Amino acid sequence: MTEPAVEMLHITKIYPDGVVALRDVNFVVHKGEIHGLLGENGAGKTTLMRILYGEIKPTKGEIIIFGKKVKFRGPWDAIKHGIGMVYQKFTLIPTFTVIENLHLSHLAINPKATVAETRKKAEELMETVGLKVPLDSVVEELPIGVQQRVEIIKTLLRDAKILILDEPTSVLTPIETEELFKTLARLKELGITVIFITHKLKEVKRVTDRITVLRRGRKIDTVETAKVTEVDLARMMVQREIVLKIEKKPAKPGRIALVIGDLWVKDERGIDAVKGVSLELREGEILGIAGVQGNGQRELAEAIAGIRKIYKGRIKLYDKDITHFSTLERYRNGLAYVPDSRVVGLVLDMTLRENVVLTNIYRILGRLGYLDWAKGDEIARKVVEELEVVTPSILTPVKYLSGGNQQKVMVGREIVREPQVFIVAEPTQGLDVGATEFIRKMLIKLRDNGKAILLISTDLDEILQLSDRIAVIYEGRIMAVGKPEEFTLEKLGLLMGGVHAE
Amino acid sequence: MPSKDGFFQKLRARFRARAQDYGMAALEVFLSAAIGFLAGAIALLVLGYDPLRVYEVLFSWGYTDVGYLLLKSTPLIMTAIAFSIPALAGVFNIGGESQLYVGALLGLLVAYYIHNAPLAIIVAILGGAGLGLFIALLRVYRGINEVITAIMVNWIMYWLLAYLVTGPFNNPKLPQQSVPVPKSAQIPMFSVVGVNIAGSFILAVIGALVIYYIVFYTKTGYIMRVSGLSPASAKYAGFSPEKAILTSMLIGGAAAGLGGALLVLGDVHSIDTTLSAVYGLGFTGIGIGLLGRNNPIGIIFAAIFFSGLLIGGQYVELFLNAPPNLSDFLIGVIVIALSIPYAYRFIISWIKRRRMTK
Repeated sequence: MTEPAVEMLHITKIYPDGVVALRDVNFVVHKGEIHGLLGENGAGKTTLMRILYGEIKPTKGEIIIFGKKVKFRGPWDAIKHGIGMVYQKFTLIPTFTVIENLHLSHLAINPKATVAETRKKAEELMETVGLKVPLDSVVEELPIGVQQRVEIIKTLLRDAKILILDEPTSVLTPIETEELFKTLARLKELGITVIFITHKLKEVKRVTDRITVLRRGRKIDTVETAKVTEVDLARMMVQREIVLKIEKKPAKPGRIALVIGDLWVKDERGIDAVKGVSLELREGEILGIAGVQGNGQRELAEAIAGIRKIYKGRIKLYDKDITHFSTLERYRNGLAYVPDSRVVGLVLDMTLRENVVLTNIYRILGRLGYLDWAKGDEIARKVVEELEVVTPSILTPVKYLSGGNQQKVMVGREIVREPQVFIVAEPTQGLDVGATEFIRKMLIKLRDNGKAILLISTDLDEILQLSDRIAVIYEGRIMAVGKPEEFTLEKLGLLMGGVHAE
Repeated sequence: MPSKDGFFQKLRARFRARAQDYGMAALEVFLSAAIGFLAGAIALLVLGYDPLRVYEVLFSWGYTDVGYLLLKSTPLIMTAIAFSIPALAGVFNIGGESQLYVGALLGLLVAYYIHNAPLAIIVAILGGAGLGLFIALLRVYRGINEVITAIMVNWIMYWLLAYLVTGPFNNPKLPQQSVPVPKSAQIPMFSVVGVNIAGSFILAVIGALVIYYIVFYTKTGYIMRVSGLSPASAKYAGFSPEKAILTSMLIGGAAAGLGGALLVLGDVHSIDTTLSAVYGLGFTGIGIGLLGRNNPIGIIFAAIFFSGLLIGGQYVELFLNAPPNLSDFLIGVIVIALSIPYAYRFIISWIKRRRMTK
């Protein structure tokens, strides 16, 4: 039982842009166990697993599978060594039937197989594992949970002995999750090793035998599940020294600026992403939404900005009910939204000036749709001056600017519109220390000027540094709201992992 | 009122800021033309022709009669715009061909029956725009790929036009062609310093400038460009990328319709029953749009360049017995060479993206 299936030793991964994703990580999984891989966003969980699956090459370190040293050139090598991966986003062809999908992947290891053989093998496999899927249904017509089962069968058909599941429960309903756990237990009985990537504390505690916790590219520890509590895990996951202390005066919250009442929003797949969120945001305060990525933050922000449909609930901006306002109407009524992605917020091929105009277009609009670019120049120059954007010219395409300067353009063009309420998502993602500090100070300055700021960030440091109040979001629900001093790091970690601290 | 000096200063500042982009663009255009001619030379050698002699004829005869050159480039300017404006908004309009047919036919009929050139042009524009909009509506509201619709519409319109000019609107006196455009509805030629400049060419240039203005100086154009480059950004800004598709196809179709009217009223004055006067102009427009880098002003020059190739190609055929499709071949190679930088840049950015995640 303690024979290792996977040994990843001294794994270091440095990306070409200098980002260190993993630092000297040792990761050992025993044969036949369910091993949880736990960590926040950017902890390196997915990177580590992509290295194991041969998708990425490590900068340093070695990998030993079932006692044999290996070097993978690509996933096909990993598959040959019995490693299978089930992604969060499935890799099935939606318009094919289940058997067609299974056959397609089966051909990769057995090019001469006929559909009948694949079917026979699949049926046997379903029998032994106890997973049932309708082989002749078209994939896109199946519920997500069943599609995931197809993915699992697909990897098992390729004789996978080690199964990696990347956040498998994030797409499932509670009942489907139960089913999945039963399947995992069955696979364990069959001697298959399972690696379970997650940030959900309850689940990892419930189904795994051992847990490895990663934090910022380092391994914190590998522990036996039975010997730790959720609190221990939360502490391991989020413990940190807080760097970059930013000076700020105590907040002077004023009038209520934004009220969100029982908001329900669906994601692209039609699954509830925001489930009855209610929040109040006041002038002169920063309300930080903490949470692990993919817990409904983007959907929440887009719903407030009017980009995504709200199917239940109310949004009020001061005295106005803006639930049914268009995006432009919301912007014009004093709302600003800085999205979490610069690819969305900016048109990279366009000039700085044209990008500044993106949300300021009504200010340079003349008769008959004429655009007064001289006014556009003025606004662009103001953004460059006020935010200290480093650029050769306002006519430079923004793709030539650094990430920090791009971010300044995105924030700056909202500031010059002088809105009252800011929705700011991941404002410092991927920025260097200098640019990060600049943007954070800017947000505090806005707060001190009486603006209401909803800060959505998966960076816990950022939340702790900036927020006057913190709300923790988990699976589309607000777990708790309170002042920063009401939360210990441990408690935040637990809440972000879906556990209510007592 | 801005001084002349200020204007040039601005122009220079603009140029400097985007010098890298402009330089790349110019280099790409030049290189693809060079590659086109090089590949053409190799093909000619293989076929047993002297490429230098062929190119000599091509250029000396293709570009000497400026009046004729501009006249022939007129419909090409408009069909290139018909491709490029939707391309800016992210739609692939290969329906310029049939949008031109509709313009040509409607222009002809209005001119024949009502003897009024401006009205004929307006009706042709509306016809082309309507057809463009039809394709866009199917794309936006029914999710039908615009390329498929356009191909089908192209063939429907081709045979419909063939039927109409051989049947109901055939010229009884000259059965190889349709009813004519009466003298009073023809667009005249103007003599400018010894060169006969077609009125239709001037109208096409005005059309191109108006569309340039719309693209770069109006909200409509701005929204189209944002939507084409990044639909997600458009949505974030509160614009509708779908609406931008409709507008762009409306403008594109209108341009092709205008091209058809200008061709019939200003040049051929009737449609021959083999449709040789109209066939292929829309497709050639795609290459011109690419060469002009989807910029209406660049397109004017690209259209003149292509038009010279087409004219010169006929002389090459006449004098050297070279294959009649030589100019088509050259244009084809240039289009492919032009798409290579796009492909090249696409591959580079793809590799970069992969490295970032590796």
